[in-house]
Amino acid sequence: MADKEKRRSGATPPGMPEGNATKSDSDREFLSRAGVGELLRGAILKMVEARSDDPIGFLADHFCNLASVSETGTAGYSDVDHFSDGPLSAGAQEQQHLNRALWHLRLAHHSQRSAFSNNVRVAYDLLNLTGPLRRSGEVPQGPDVSCTDSPTEGGGGGGGVKGGLYTQTLQCLCSEGGVPASTSAPLLQRLHCQDHEAVPYDIFRHGVLTCAVFSDYIRQAQRLYAEVCCPDEGPASRALCLSVLGTLKEALETSQGCEANVCDNSNMKVNSCLEGNVKALCYLEASAKISPYRLGQAMAGAQARGPGGNMDAKEFENAAAELFITRVKSAIKKNAGQVLTSQIYQQQIGA
Amino acid sequence: MTRVNRFNSPVPDHEYLADGDVLFYLRDAVTQLLDHQQEYTTFGLIRYFAEYFSSVKNSNHVLFREYNYIRATPHNRASFIRVFWRCYRQIGKSGDLLSTLEYRSLLQLLCPDFPLEMVQRAARIVQMEDVVDCLMSFSDFLYALQLHFYYPEFLNSMLLIYQDLLAGKSPNTVIVPTSTSIDLLRSVAAENISKEKQQQQQDGVDPSTLAQCIDALCDRFKHSHPPRSCMREVLGQTNKVYYYSFLMSLAKHESINQTIGALPSRAEFLIDPEMDQDLDKLIAQISVSPSSNSSGSAVGGLKEEHPPQEED
Repeated sequence: MADKEKRRSGATPPGMPEGNATKSDSDREFLSRAGVGELLRGAILKMVEARSDDPIGFLADHFCNLASVSETGTAGYSDVDHFSDGPLSAGAQEQQHLNRALWHLRLAHHSQRSAFSNNVRVAYDLLNLTGPLRRSGEVPQGPDVSCTDSPTEGGGGGGGVKGGLYTQTLQCLCSEGGVPASTSAPLLQRLHCQDHEAVPYDIFRHGVLTCAVFSDYIRQAQRLYAEVCCPDEGPASRALCLSVLGTLKEALETSQGCEANVCDNSNMKVNSCLEGNVKALCYLEASAKISPYRLGQAMAGAQARGPGGNMDAKEFENAAAELFITRVKSAIKKNAGQVLTSQIYQQQIGA
Repeated sequence: MTRVNRFNSPVPDHEYLADGDVLFYLRDAVTQLLDHQQEYTTFGLIRYFAEYFSSVKNSNHVLFREYNYIRATPHNRASFIRVFWRCYRQIGKSGDLLSTLEYRSLLQLLCPDFPLEMVQRAARIVQMEDVVDCLMSFSDFLYALQLHFYYPEFLNSMLLIYQDLLAGKSPNTVIVPTSTSIDLLRSVAAENISKEKQQQQQDGVDPSTLAQCIDALCDRFKHSHPPRSCMREVLGQTNKVYYYSFLMSLAKHESINQTIGALPSRAEFLIDPEMDQDLDKLIAQISVSPSSNSSGSAVGGLKEEHPPQEED
């Protein structure tokens, strides 16, 4: 009984100095034999990279993932199991990869750039598995497995993430971010890739970042509408909403304009510091256009004139979404077209 | 919650780690592992850590642990209150009234070294006087215990402030305790309990003065405290504040209850058929396995294909 009491409290009995010394030695030996240090170091590194808002949840998921990988055998990615399982299991495995990739993408907010970039990289690599390759970072660690990191090249086993999987990822990001399907549909229309296309890392990252920012943007638009309209009095007046949207549009156009200027100058040798300053000034100008004072002015002006009738929350949201989406179009498709064409070409010639 | 720095310089790693209580849990996981080497190495090392952190995530980790562990982090405190509620909710349903010592026995079934002092403080809030033999309802006691168990540092500081104000000190000279003087506070507070009880009957304190001092305390306080708006709301409802009735109002305040997040509202306190199912499972496991460190974590709804390991 006394022994059990001692174990419950986790304390060593007093008055046994020699016993204590032997105990801590044997503890250390046990820990190093079992590989606890390695295990925890790996976990902490991953945790700090991901910067999740919920570190305990992260660790729980991390160890559970590791445990399921090691318990079903390290054969998750080996030749034998992959081929013998057949197409059905491959599909299920794909879903599993998608879930885990999404989990990684949720960990850090996109404003935490370095953590977010790390997580996007991990997610991309997860989805990029097209063959039975051992991946670095996914090697399970445990007392019996000797860990060897087999480094892979940047592109992983395949030439890129499957288009269908990429589109699915973007869809999930938008819906988890609280954006209704109808609102995100036009955005996804512009961002999505065909099933047969292979999506390279840059496109993937751009798409994921855009969806993350878009979710935030829509949430803010919803809150903006809630501020503008008083719920008791029914939907907000159309004029008011239009003026708010107009201010938003102006601000976005200003920031767009400065990007265009900078792009045009990029062929000339511009001092990068100067370039940065010009950009900053543009963004400051844009944000000034959406300051509370300006917004208040616009709204006060709208009440006097402007079209009659009301605008409900859904319409406001769609209009705000449109302002965002029109800006997405030109940036991505141009790049996407070029890169995807080369990817498909490479695949066709069997590179 | 980690701080998000929007200007692209991330919070340094050591700050991120220190912000939550992650290091505390990692340390405890390793300590527990060392104390139960035989059991857990047959389990498998990775599975051990997976179960440990899953149980922390699901708030099942505090069962049968020592007092120092359950009060170490806010998450642990809230989890313990919740576990107590889940285990003994039937008492509330049956409407039985219990004494301080009986509640303490119940607490000690879940935490072997739960101190009497903490139980007495909770009882005092309910009873508003220093009578140990008075009987209390389950819900009254638990909400009071929750307040005192979750915010002990704050309540100790506030008691001292209250006593200073009663003694006639002006708010500007009332000393706002810092975190370093917590231990001193405890002993002083204990001494002053009986003094306070006498004065309780006669005098109260001006609510706005107390509000002012509480504001000053919250500004500099390193520990957690109930939301200021709730405290101001309670203080605004009377002309004179008496310490224990103030605490009882705080204990019953729904926003504070939600902030802590351990217990449902009073209206739903006794209702939950899913809880009844979980309770049956819990009781079954307690009666089957005498040492319950592993079964406690397995209750948390982990994967079905990994049933809790029984000890040999």
